[in-house]
Amino acid sequence: MYRQILHTLWSALRLPVVLLAVLAFAVPLLTVTYGGSLADAPAGRVAEWLFAAQQIGVLIPGLALLVGLLLGIGTWMHDHAGKHVYALSLPVSRERYVLLRFAAGGTLLLVPVAALAAGSLIAVASVSLPSGIHAYPVPLVVRFFFASLLCYAVFFAISISTRRAALAVLGAICGVLFADLLLAAIGVEATVTPTVFMWLTNWPGPLSILIGRWALFDV
Amino acid sequence: MSNAIETRDLVYRAGRHFELRDVGLNVREGSIYGFLGPNGSGKTTTIRLLLGMLRPVRGTITVLGRRVPDEVARIMADTGYVPERPHLYPHLSVEAAVRFHAAFFPGFDAAYAGELRRTFALPLEQKVASLSKGEAGKLHMLLVLAQRPRLLVLDEPTDGLDPVVRRDVLSALLDFCSQGTATVFISSHLVHELERICDWVGVLDAGKLVVELPMHSFKNGIKRIRVAHGPSLVGDTPFVVLQREPSGLEQVWVVRGWQPPMVQWFEGVGAEVREVVDLDLEEGFVELLRSSRTPAS
Repeated sequence: MYRQILHTLWSALRLPVVLLAVLAFAVPLLTVTYGGSLADAPAGRVAEWLFAAQQIGVLIPGLALLVGLLLGIGTWMHDHAGKHVYALSLPVSRERYVLLRFAAGGTLLLVPVAALAAGSLIAVASVSLPSGIHAYPVPLVVRFFFASLLCYAVFFAISISTRRAALAVLGAICGVLFADLLLAAIGVEATVTPTVFMWLTNWPGPLSILIGRWALFDV
Repeated sequence: MSNAIETRDLVYRAGRHFELRDVGLNVREGSIYGFLGPNGSGKTTTIRLLLGMLRPVRGTITVLGRRVPDEVARIMADTGYVPERPHLYPHLSVEAAVRFHAAFFPGFDAAYAGELRRTFALPLEQKVASLSKGEAGKLHMLLVLAQRPRLLVLDEPTDGLDPVVRRDVLSALLDFCSQGTATVFISSHLVHELERICDWVGVLDAGKLVVELPMHSFKNGIKRIRVAHGPSLVGDTPFVVLQREPSGLEQVWVVRGWQPPMVQWFEGVGAEVREVVDLDLEEGFVELLRSSRTPAS
C-alpha cells in the first residue's frame, strides 16, 4: 500500500519535487561562486566571501518552507478534489491512511534533502578553506531535513483539517491580533503578537529551527 | 436468510433543509436490491452513511454483519463501491489505477481485471483524467468487480452514460452476479433499468423510506382500478390505497398489494370494478411517490 501511495504521489508531484531538488542542489554551489583557493586569500576577501555565503544561506530555510508547503498540500491535493470519497472506500482505517500518506510525502522530502547534501559536498570539495573557517555540510543537511519535515507536518495538518478546524485556527490568530489592537487602544504596552512570535521562533519554540544562521561555511 | 445491510431508525441531518428520517433498510444476502428515489431524495447520503463516510445523528447500521462505523475498514475489504461520480486519481494511467486499487485488496483478481479491461476496451496507458465519463465509469466498475466483493454498492452507476456503455456496464454486473452470491445494492432514479435486474426494491422519497418489497410484488401488486359507484369514504381495505381520484361518474383507484379475489371487497361496499390495469414499474413508482406526498383520503 505504502509503495503504491508513494508511486501515486511521485507521479503527481515529480516535476515540482525535481525542481526543488535542483534548487537545493544549486544553493550550496552558489555559496562557492567565488570558488577556488581561499587558503591564501587576504582576510578581507575571506570575510567578504563568508558574508556572501551566509547571505545565500538564507535561501535554505525558504527552500525548506517551499518543500514543506508543496508536499503538505500536494499530498492531499487529489483526495481533496475527489472529496476523499475514493480514499474512504479503501479498506484501511482513516488513521492508517493518513499515516501512509504522511510517510509517502515524507519519503519524497528526502529528494531535495539528498540534493542539498550532494550540492553541499561538492561545494565543500571545491574550495580550500583558510584556517579558522570550517565547513558544516552534515549539520546543514540535518537541519534542512528537520526544518522541511516541520514545515511539511504543519502544512500536512492544515491541509487535512476540516474547514471547521481551519476556521478555528484562523479565528485564534485573528483573536490574538484583535487582543493586540485592543491592548494598544487602551494604552497597555504589553502586546500579544510579538510575544507569541518570540515564543514560536526562539528556542525551544517549534519554529526556532527556521530562524538564525544557515551557513555551510562558518568560523 | 440474514441481511447484508440492515439499518434501524437511521436519522441524519444536513443543514436545515434535508433530513433522513427513521430509515430501516433490510437488504437480504445475495439479493440485487434496487434503491429507487427521485434526485435529492437522499440515496447518496444513505449510501455514504452505510459505508461510514458520514455519521448518523441516530440509529444503527450493520453491513455484512459488522457495525458501522466501528468496523468500517473491515467492511470495505469485502465491499466494492462505485460512487455517483468516479473519484479516481486523475494523473494515474489506467494500468497504474488498477495497480493502486489492487494493492489494497488482497483478493483482487488481476486476471478478471484484465478480461474486463479488454471487454471495456480501456487503453492501459491512458490517463484517468483523459478518460470520457463512460470510460471512467467502466474503469471504476472494473476495479470493484475485480475485487470479488461480497457486497457491491453502486450509486447511480449508469447515470449520464450513453446506451452502449450502459449496456456494457450492466452486462458486466449481471455476469458478475451470475458467478457468485454477492449482494448488490444499486441506487438509481432510472426505474426501467432496475426493473430488469433487481429482485428487491426500496423507494426513498424526501429522506423517508416509502416502501421496501420484492420486485415481483412491486411490479405485479400495483394496479390502477376503474370503479363505478365507489364509496365516498374508504374504510379498512385488504390492499393499500395509494391514490383515489374521481373520473367522471367513476373513480380511479391506484392500489398496492392487489389480488384478484379482492374484487369482492368492492362488491361488498356496493361498488363495481370495471377495469384493472397493470402498471409498469415506472408508473408504479410515480404513483407511489404521489401517494407518499399526498396520502389518499
